[in-house]
Amino acid sequence: MSTSDVSRLVLRNHLAELRRLAVWVERWTQEGVSPNVSFALQLCLEEAVANVIMYGATDGEFKIAIELERLGGTLVARIEDNGQPFDPTQVAPHPLPSTLKDAKIGDLGIHLVRSFASRMDYERRHGRNRLTLRFEEQVGPAP
Amino acid sequence: MDIATEDLGGEITKVTLRGRLDTTGAVQLELPFNRLATEQRKVLVDLSSVSFLASYGIRVLLVGAKIVDGKNGKLVLSCPAPSVAKVLKTAGIDQVIPIFDSESTAIAALK
Repeated sequence: MSTSDVSRLVLRNHLAELRRLAVWVERWTQEGVSPNVSFALQLCLEEAVANVIMYGATDGEFKIAIELERLGGTLVARIEDNGQPFDPTQVAPHPLPSTLKDAKIGDLGIHLVRSFASRMDYERRHGRNRLTLRFEEQVGPAP
Repeated sequence: MDIATEDLGGEITKVTLRGRLDTTGAVQLELPFNRLATEQRKVLVDLSSVSFLASYGIRVLLVGAKIVDGKNGKLVLSCPAPSVAKVLKTAGIDQVIPIFDSESTAIAALK
């Protein structure tokens, strides 16, 4: 894979599309991506795209475009959609539970993205949400 | 996502989950898992064959644990793969649902 390769996938806002996303990301990470970063990338894309599908609906169908790019030792994932404006970077931190009775159901997705991605940036541009996630790959020993 | 159950005796039911506990898998699991949690009082959930865990999967496990706890029962998790264990820990689930590295310690905790 060259360092300037950009891969792109376009999904409809249906939950069934998450399976297509998983297969695509898994295939993309098979070459030259460490298991830890591969897992983090799969988890964060699953959570971010599921959020868009479940909460981004306006009036019917819209498209979600996902791009993956490798920039040196950094993997960059961009998620763009024309659903309702939603900035996940502004969501309050998720309180961790101390007892089973107090444990809150739901709202974990963004907490996981914050924890597993190295960086998360959001912008709203031309009526579209654009979320950029970065993952730092550990530099391995020279071949 | 596959689910299999086994009666281990002593009222303990082992629930083995296999596959990806992602959003799609968790949606499939939700009803049968809730039914099990409603019917059983001592539940050991074997996660060793779960290759992926997302927030909806955590939600299903948490709801199941709450149902069992509401009947004064107990639900424990056993043998998650390191990546799955990391997701559980990041979500704080290890603080509210016991997680064991071996099936024998999980069974002992249910007795």
